[in-house]
Parts: sequence; C-alpha cells; structure tokens
Amino acid sequence: MAEQRLVLLGVAASDAHAVANRLIAMHLRQAGFEVVNLGTCTPLPEFAAALRLHPGAEAVLIGSLNGHAHADLRELPDLRAKGELRRPVIVGGNLAVGQASAAEAERRLLDLGVDHVLRDAVELVPLLDSLRAKVAV
Amino acid sequence: MSAPSVVDFPMAVSPAAAAALPPWPEVVRWLRAPERRHAADVLRATRRPFVQPRCGVGDHDRMLELLGALEQAGPGLLSVTIDSHTRLGRFDTAARVLRERPADLNGYPLPAHGWERGRDLVAAVGVPLEVRHGSPEARDLFAYTLASGITSFEGGGIGYNLPYCKDVPLRDSLESWREIDTACGELAAEGVLVDREFFGTLTGVLMPPSTSLACALLEARLAADAGVRCLSIAYPQSGEVYQDTAALRAITALAARYLPAHVEVHVVLHEFMGVFPRCPGCAEALILFGALTARLGGAAKVINKTTQEASGIPTAAANARGIRSAQLGLSPLLDFIALDEGLIAEECGWIQREVAELLDPVLEGGDPLSRIVSAFARGTLDVPFSASVHARGSVVPGRDARGAVRYRDFGGLPFSPAVRAHNDSHLRRGRPDLLAVLSADINHFAAGRSCERCAADPTWRA
Ligand code: B12
Repeated sequence: MAEQRLVLLGVAASDAHAVANRLIAMHLRQAGFEVVNLGTCTPLPEFAAALRLHPGAEAVLIGSLNGHAHADLRELPDLRAKGELRRPVIVGGNLAVGQASAAEAERRLLDLGVDHVLRDAVELVPLLDSLRAKVAV
Repeated sequence: MSAPSVVDFPMAVSPAAAAALPPWPEVVRWLRAPERRHAADVLRATRRPFVQPRCGVGDHDRMLELLGALEQAGPGLLSVTIDSHTRLGRFDTAARVLRERPADLNGYPLPAHGWERGRDLVAAVGVPLEVRHGSPEARDLFAYTLASGITSFEGGGIGYNLPYCKDVPLRDSLESWREIDTACGELAAEGVLVDREFFGTLTGVLMPPSTSLACALLEARLAADAGVRCLSIAYPQSGEVYQDTAALRAITALAARYLPAHVEVHVVLHEFMGVFPRCPGCAEALILFGALTARLGGAAKVINKTTQEASGIPTAAANARGIRSAQLGLSPLLDFIALDEGLIAEECGWIQREVAELLDPVLEGGDPLSRIVSAFARGTLDVPFSASVHARGSVVPGRDARGAVRYRDFGGLPFSPAVRAHNDSHLRRGRPDLLAVLSADINHFAAGRSCERCAADPTWRA
C-alpha cells in the first residue's frame, strides 16, 4: 500500500470564509490525501501546534479571502525562528484588500517567508506532487 | 471584579471601552437630540425600496470621502462596514494595522478610531448610517455605535456567529446579543428607536430560503422578547425570481405569526450573496435583477453589490455605480413586469411550511435561547458551510433545474415526509459526483449567464 499523504489545511486568523475551505478539503481527500482541517479563523500558532501533533504533514495550506493575509500571517518569521512551521507554507485565495495588485500582495507574503502563493486551489495537488518529488530525490 | 463602571451602559462593556466612552446619560442625550436622523424614520417613510451600499475603509479621511461620494448616488441609508479584526474583538490588531497601513483593513475600525470620529461620519452625510459587521459578541461595538450617534445595528446571536467565527459557543453569542437587545428596549422607553437588522444571509452560498428565514425569525423573536421595537429582517437573493419573491413575501406572513403585534418589521433583500460574475456586464445585470426582485417581493431596502464583487473591496466609483444600477432595477418604468402569482403563492406556501417545521419545535417549550443552542447541537437546526464548529454543517444545498435553491441533503432537519417529497421532486438526492455538482451550483452566476460574450465563452474573464 502507498504511504498515506497528509496535509494541514485552514483559513487565516481573521477570516471566516468557509466555502473554499470545505471544497478544498473534499478535493484533496478525493485525490487521496488525509486532511487535518483546522477550519476558519485559525491563528498561525494554532497551525504550529497542529504540526507538532501531526509531524508527518508534508505541507501547511492556508486560505485567506478577506484581504487580511499579510496581517494574519505576520507571526510567521517569529514562529520559524523558534523552529516551528518547518514545512512548506502554501497560501491561496484573495490576498489583499481592494483592487490592489495581486503581484504586490504575493511579494509581501513571500517576504514574510510564505513558500508558495497560489491563485487557485486546482494548482495545489500538482504543487504538492512536485514538492514531494524534490524531497524524494 | 473591576469596580462598577462610571459609564453604566445597560450592557456589559469591556473596561477599555468603558474608559473611552462618554457616560451613558450623555449618550442617550445625544441620541435624543431632535436634529438626529434615524434609520427607522427612513424605513418607515419609504414607499418604494431604497438602496443601501456596504462601505468601509480603514482610514478615517478616506471613509469620509467614500461616504460623501456614495451619498451623491442617492442611497436611502449608508453603511459603516467594520473590518474583520474588529469583528472578532481583536481591537488591538485593528489599531496596529490602522497605524501601520490603514489600506490593509477591509473595513472601518470604529473602536480604534473612537466615538468622536464616529460622530464625524454621521455629521458628514445627510442620510443615517448603519453599522454592519459580523461580530459574534458585539457589546463594545454597539456601545461605540450608540456613542457615535448611530441607531441602526446589524446582527444577532445566530447569523453573526455561525458564518463569522470558528468557536464562539452559541449560548455566549445569543446571551451577549440579548444584552444588546435589552439595551434597545431601554432606549425605546427613552424615545430612541434603534433599527435592529437580522442578517439572514448566513453563509451566503446556496442558502435554502427556509433556513435563512428560520434563523432570522428566531433572532427577531428573541430581540422582540428583549424589548426591540424596530426589526429589519433580511433575506439573500438566491437568483431564482419566483423563489426569491415568495421568500420576501413570506417574511411579512411569518412575522405576523411569530412576532408580537407591537413591533414593526421591515423587509430587506441582500443582492446575490454568492460567487459573483467577474464580467462587469454580467455583474451589472445581476445587480439590476436583484433590485427588480426586491420590488416584486415588496422589500423596503436593498443591500447592494458592485461589479467588483468578485475581485475585492470596491472603489468608491464602482460602489456608486452599483447603487445606480440597482436604482434602475427599482425604476417605476419596470413596474409592468409581473410574475405568475400562482407559482409565487405555491412557493410561498412551501417556504412557510418549511420554516414552521424548523421553528415550531424550538418555540414550543421552554426558554427559546436554550432550545436554539440544543437544536443546533442536535442538527435539527443547521446551516450549510458553517464557519463555526457549533453547527453541524451537515445540510447540503443544491440548485434545481430552474435554479431555485433546495435541500440536496436534509442532514438532521426535522422535515415532514411531505416537505421531503416536495424537495426531492425538484432535486435528485445523493449524488456520487457531489464536489462537481456543488461547484457548478456555487458558480451558477459566476460566468456565462447574462451577456452574449460570456454565453459564447464563459471563461473569458475567469
Ligand atoms: C460568500 C462570501 C461571503 C460569506 C462567507 C460565508 C462563509 N463563512 O463562508 C459572507 C457573506 C459571510 C462573507 C463575509 C465577509 N466577506 Co465575503 N465574500 C463571499 C463571496 C461572495 C464568495 C466567496 C466564496 O465562497 N467563494 C466560493 C469559493 C469556492 O471560491 P473562493 O473562495 O474564491 O476560493 C477559490 C480561490 O480563492 C482559491 N482559494 C481559496 N482558498 C484557498 C486556499 C488555498 C490553500 C489555495 C491554494 C487556494 C485557495 O481557490 C478556490 C477555488 O478556486 C466573495 C466574493 C465573490 N467571489 O464573489 C466575498 C469576498 C471574498 N468577501 C469579502 C469580504 C471583505 C468579507 C468580509 C470581511 C466583509 C467585508 N468587510 O466586506 C466578511 C468576512 C468576515 C471575516 N471575519 O472574514 C471580500 C474580500 C475583499 C478583498 N480581498 O478585497 C470579497 C471578495 C467581496 C468583496 N468584493 O468585497 N463573505
């Protein structure tokens, strides 16, 4: 039997948008993943605690739709400095307030230490596969 | 325990809010001043539905500009839409982002700005304001709202909990809203009528009308019991015009059945609350359609959307244009448009029956607040796509062939065989390809519906 693949999924701290979160969980489960879904309004330390509990997770997937991605993920450098969240952090959704440029929002998140920024959830499985291929080599 | 606060608000407010706000008698004096204009007066005076935009930006001067620009478009009321940090009680985070990068806030952080600036907002425009938010526990925010001179406040212990947070127990949110509603009762005795609006929309995506109306009516009932006199009950447009017209008309009938006779009830339509089209033409058509639906259903006001809904918080210009598009849909020129009354009556009958089957078990018996909490725990009340762990979220909605929203899976809802059979006659249950079907239903209006270009190529703006 193939090894069970595991990911952590959740929505950023100030964000209650639930629909994409539910659909992405269904989609990943259909694709064979075990999904630990932390749901909406999840502060970054809660992701870190969940990763300690599930060290086998291959990535941490964070959705943000309300435009507050940057403020909600601000603790990432601190947590990483403490040795937490040492897995690819993949962020997707609607990442800045208003009609601001998506490229600028993406750059600010990458500066915080986010590893990958995706526009659409359909890009998730291919990205997870490619990250895993790199680890396997 | 902290010493009794000098502020003496009729609901519990945090020590920080108590220290920042003027004393309660001064707040009441301010609200009672004859020159104040109140949302309730606008709602009472309206003959045709009027339009109210959502609007809120972080920076105070930008907010003043935004309100001024939108007033030009002729709304009946204007909103102060609160940012997400403040909604969740994280006032410190809101204040920090306001200092560092106000444009990063998705709304106006009223407590961080303070009540004096709230009064500036009121003074800046000629139409009354409503504070719209999404706070499961809103006592502090309500205190700031009143101190600002604003007498219209949205929310309730169900509709501002389940869609808006992960883990606030329903009992906590319901009890904190009961304090707010009790304060409204005290204000009514002082001659200040607060308009309390119930969101109805819940999670906004494929919301079955009876679920929306049942939750809003429960909140309205608790509010009326606590002393609220002026209630606005809102319903989100599903996009199927017979169903929506029927649901709007059902509100009046249901209010007569479930609310005491001495309260006044205003019907509100939310323009389509699900995934909006990216194409500006399709989006504008949907806005006009929503407003027309509000007129057909006899709503008092329309909460608006814009052509930028799919992409992000709109610019002032796009928001003003959205108001005008909705006003076109409300134009008397379109009064010749009428629907098949037989079909509306049939839908309306089923909606009322479903609502009764959801509400009666909760309201027949002891303390309704406790019975609401246990009904959600058991799943006899439920909300699809709940953001909160305190609803099961096991109900699955879907669209029938006409586009009306039905129950694809009833979860634990206590519907009769007749209601189940009626639903099943419209929508086949138990689909193996649920994810694909759900996605298609969610994206019903997202592309390809309303303009020729999208009909030819639904993906051109995707
Ligand atoms: C439904 C909805 C709501 C519902 C949500 C109910 C719920 N609990 O789920 C309600 C009405 C309650 C709501 C509330 C709010 N909302 Co809202 N909402 C929407 C709406 C209409 C649809 C969202 C949706 O469900 N889409 C369906 C899913 C399947 O699609 P999706 O979310 O876009 O997800 C896709 C991608 O984004 C991506 N993706 C999403 N998550 C992730 C995660 C990962 C890891 C990856 C890789 C990809 C990914 O893949 C998905 C599939 O393609 C959008 C506008 C629109 N699109 O039309 C606004 C919208 C997202 N909301 C918005 C806002 C701001 C809010 C509020 C803060 C209110 C406000 N100030 O206006 C509050 C939220 C309060 C809070 N604390 O967060 C804004 C965001 C603005 C911005 N970024 O500039 C939008 C864009 C509307 C707007 N134009 O103003 N909302």
